[in-house]
Amino acid sequence: MRFPRRLLAANLYIALGLWAALATIVALIVVGVAIFGQVTESAWEKGSLAPRWYALFVGVGLITTFLPMYVAHGQTRRRFGVHAAITVTLMAPAVAAMITLGYLAERGIYHLVGWEQKLTRPHLFTEPTQLHLLFLEHLLELLTWMAAGTLIGAGFYRWQAGGLLTIPVGVGLVVLTQSAIGTELDLPIVDRVLRPDTPQPLGLVIGAGLLSFLIGLALAWTVVRDVPLQNKVS
Amino acid sequence: MFDDRSPIYRQIASRIKADVLSGALKGDDQVMSTTQYATYYRINPATAAKAFQQLVDEGVLYKKRGIGMFVSPDARDTLRAERRESFFAEVVEPMISEARAIGIPLRDVVRRIEEREQR
Amino acid sequence: MRIDVENLVLRYGDTTAVDGLTFNLAGDKIYGLLGRSGSGKTSLLSVLAAFRRESAGSVRVNGQPVFENADVTRDIIMIRDGGETVKIGTAEDAVYFAEWLRPNWDGDYARSLMDRFELRPKAKVSEMSKGQQSAMGVVIGLASRAPLTIFDESYLGMDVPSRYAFYEAILADYMLHPRTIILSAHLIEEISSLLEEVVIIDRGRLVVHEETETLLSRGRAVTGPADRVDAFTSGFTVLGTRQLGPTKSTMVYGDLDQDQRRQAVEAGLELEPIAMQDLFVHLTGGPR
Repeated sequence: MRFPRRLLAANLYIALGLWAALATIVALIVVGVAIFGQVTESAWEKGSLAPRWYALFVGVGLITTFLPMYVAHGQTRRRFGVHAAITVTLMAPAVAAMITLGYLAERGIYHLVGWEQKLTRPHLFTEPTQLHLLFLEHLLELLTWMAAGTLIGAGFYRWQAGGLLTIPVGVGLVVLTQSAIGTELDLPIVDRVLRPDTPQPLGLVIGAGLLSFLIGLALAWTVVRDVPLQNKVS
Repeated sequence: MFDDRSPIYRQIASRIKADVLSGALKGDDQVMSTTQYATYYRINPATAAKAFQQLVDEGVLYKKRGIGMFVSPDARDTLRAERRESFFAEVVEPMISEARAIGIPLRDVVRRIEEREQR
Repeated sequence: MRIDVENLVLRYGDTTAVDGLTFNLAGDKIYGLLGRSGSGKTSLLSVLAAFRRESAGSVRVNGQPVFENADVTRDIIMIRDGGETVKIGTAEDAVYFAEWLRPNWDGDYARSLMDRFELRPKAKVSEMSKGQQSAMGVVIGLASRAPLTIFDESYLGMDVPSRYAFYEAILADYMLHPRTIILSAHLIEEISSLLEEVVIIDRGRLVVHEETETLLSRGRAVTGPADRVDAFTSGFTVLGTRQLGPTKSTMVYGDLDQDQRRQAVEAGLELEPIAMQDLFVHLTGGPR
């Protein structure tokens, strides 16, 4: 059992369900806009702001639900740590691929109807046709948000209210990645203070993204490596 | 299931003895296994095993390895002999004390016993 | 599995929950861990199940330390109120992970237990009643067939018929698949007949570790005229007394030999066994 097959499967199953739900909602909104007005820009671009929050909760849930389950089933925290890291590392590209697929599907549909898939936010990519950049941006973003989630989840699991202190650290990691990517952060307050607009060199972007991902996971590990299972009824 | 006046294993042992005395269990009959006893009475099998061990020690049961527990051929006779020995101490003496405590003259008791014998 | 607890201490901040416990369990029996609320039962078991690390002393299972030791922990399961193994999603989800993480998992047995407790596979565990959540824990705990299986009071959330079904299941499965089972409880009378040995702890310390039958045989209520009861019980550990007019009843703890029994009868004293629950109350210091 070196590979977290079922942990990954369970998370992917939920991710697919949420992706289908998001696609449905976005499609309904597009139809609504088309009926009452005119579609002038990419709706999926706005819809794809949601998955990062989902990524955060994947990270939190790994620690608060699956860590206790692993330990109660006689697995070590070490084993869980490895499984969680593999799960996050594979979930991020899977979800990034789903987002990319969304852009592709949107392009096909818009093309048929004759709408323009215009982007309204700064990205690593300037056109929705740059699939590799599109994928990369979401990958780095999701990796970071998931790692931040594990850190914040670990903080709250171990210290309850004291976990609040891990939030600024998590936000810091997210800011690092997002400002390297150059997208709007879509975080309350932070977004207004920091307005990165010029895209950075690609190597730097990848480096910053991976760095904050690894820092997040490493910090989360230091919190859970000997964490006692909490006594309270969850 | 059990009252708590004596250890469960002694209650089980005395029930088996009662069955042997009444003839419900005959010599060389197999008795139920510890597992069956444990399940039936909802008790730890070690407790049931203890009852069996006591009966083996007393010669009421014997063990056939890998098969189970059986009633000793002479168990009934042995038990009857034992009970006869303790009959006066355990049955008659308390009866006499009771009769005195509640004011029944002993000759009334004797008369009653004699009436029974004549019937 | 053999369990050796030595000078175990567990502290939470300023509170000492387990205070220098030492005892050994030979294994492959059904044990009862008895203690009043807050006596340190859950703390002790948490260390035993590698849920938390000890503050001092040691816990060894089959001679090996437990915390973060996969060789040992894979053979241990502890089910408790927190619902770690069941509150994943639906009942089916809990089974999905147990089947994957538990080396001795018996799926057919799990299904039959779920039928017995009327648990619907598609039902969300966190939305089940307290009793059903406990029953779900029982299913996972028993069907995992872990060589060391611990139930920490969680089954007490079930109603009486379900608890009895649990007791029957635990006995039946123990006889088919002998293993070390520890039941912790503060409601004692119901489970005492299941237990081969009991460990009683109080305020984080060991009170007694004894075979159930031996423990029961040590406790006696001596009843009769007050002066004669006092004379007879003078050399014994007295657990408690009650008096009604001239009649006194004194609970003593200790071995009574044949001679002493005869003396008691000759002095017109009645000797009666004490129920486990009463023994427990007195051994752990009466009401507080």
